[in-house]
Amino acid sequence: MCPHSMRLTALLSMAAKAAFPHDYRYGTNRPWTIAAQRLNPPSKKRRKVFVEPIANEDWHVVRGDTVEILSGKDKGKQGKVAQVIRRRNWVILEGLNTHYRYIGRSGDYRGTYIASEAPLLLKDVTLIDPTDRKPTDIEWRYTEEGERVRVSVRTGRIIPKPVYQRKDGIIPQQWKDGPKDTSPEDTLQKTYTPSLKTLEEEVMEKMNIQEDGKPRKSYWY
Amino acid sequence: MLPFVVSFDIVKMAAALTSRLTAAVCRQFQRVVTVSSHTQTQYATQAFSKFHSCQRRQMYDSWWFRSSMNYRALHTSCVRRGLDEFFDLPENWGEQTVKSGAPWTAKQLRVKSNEDLHKLWYVLLKEKNVLLTLEQEAKRQRLPMPSPERLKKVERSIKRLDTVVTEREDALRLLQMGQERGRPGEWRRNVFGKTFWYRFKEHPIPWYLNSRYKRRQFFEPSHVAPYTRLSLEKYLRSKIRREKRETRNQKRLAAMFSKKTAHA
Repeated sequence: MCPHSMRLTALLSMAAKAAFPHDYRYGTNRPWTIAAQRLNPPSKKRRKVFVEPIANEDWHVVRGDTVEILSGKDKGKQGKVAQVIRRRNWVILEGLNTHYRYIGRSGDYRGTYIASEAPLLLKDVTLIDPTDRKPTDIEWRYTEEGERVRVSVRTGRIIPKPVYQRKDGIIPQQWKDGPKDTSPEDTLQKTYTPSLKTLEEEVMEKMNIQEDGKPRKSYWY
Repeated sequence: MLPFVVSFDIVKMAAALTSRLTAAVCRQFQRVVTVSSHTQTQYATQAFSKFHSCQRRQMYDSWWFRSSMNYRALHTSCVRRGLDEFFDLPENWGEQTVKSGAPWTAKQLRVKSNEDLHKLWYVLLKEKNVLLTLEQEAKRQRLPMPSPERLKKVERSIKRLDTVVTEREDALRLLQMGQERGRPGEWRRNVFGKTFWYRFKEHPIPWYLNSRYKRRQFFEPSHVAPYTRLSLEKYLRSKIRREKRETRNQKRLAAMFSKKTAHA
């Protein structure tokens, strides 16, 4: 692996990783999508929104949780969290706090009329106690084993984390390997024996390549 | 890695898009990894020794160079499909999405031997070539590439493999030589007075015979010396200003989102 090529790829990856200005206004669209680029072009300067600084340890809502809305149009309703946008302290619920818009219009056709969810701030939303299904305040506490869990302040019951569902819909337990996939046993099989040989030396030994020639004299400066 | 553009006309190309399953590893490699690779390497060694001995005897015979013996000698694996190796399995041609597994993680790669990593590198490289061919052909046909995340997975696997190999090399070098870096270099000062890590390059001639290298100035002229101090002061000022700005913003936000306003 030539050092020059790795530096070039490092440069390319730096360019590929899109950098956003410090006053970029994060929206519901992911910043690298075309929709976000259309709404937030680099020249656009919008009024600054102040986001309450919430530490990563204090954030208690996860995708898949059931939460209740405390204020807004759908006050008092419970719903599942579909998306969490940490930059703006936003939580988007499935099918709640919706407004209606047309999508996919072209020419004369006005498009499909769909309900699109608006994001809610974290402080307008609380987690629900799973036993009595009432909204509660949440605290992070440690169990006897030392595990950090969310505990409802009112009842003292632990609120379990929702089962993590992948966005591509794959369930690891039901996965069938394709012809190009390595089986789990082969992947985890240990073949490494530490030795004082470099990769090149070991491979040359295995392939019986004898390199007798003296390397040409070169100067490093 | 530049995409490989297929310029000639085959029926397969004209028919449908080639779609690919991701490479974690192909079945041939699986067999090689689980069963001992002794037979494989024996074949490879025979091929190599034959190649070298023949070359010494008849160097410039063009007929001999074009014979199949030479092509076989280039392969060390059992795959001999020629240009078909740039295309996916025929059952994936024309599919809109192709199923692909998870990429290799660095943790999984660290338990593999150097020989396995060497083989895996070339398997991943070939799969990347396949996916890049597919991507280019999709661009040419102005159609979406089926499952482009496969390319990202392969690239990540390759990057992680490289990380693992460099880790091992670094550990060995530190142990045996005590050198932190594989590539020599040193701190030097350029014409603008800035100190930077100059990485050495490999040259065939010593520095005192290299006229272009001698023209390079790794010292600051005397009229540049005052500006070094000024730029240092500027840097320190900007650092302190940045830190002060951060603390000021934190205080402002704390005041804005204090407990008193939250309860109101």
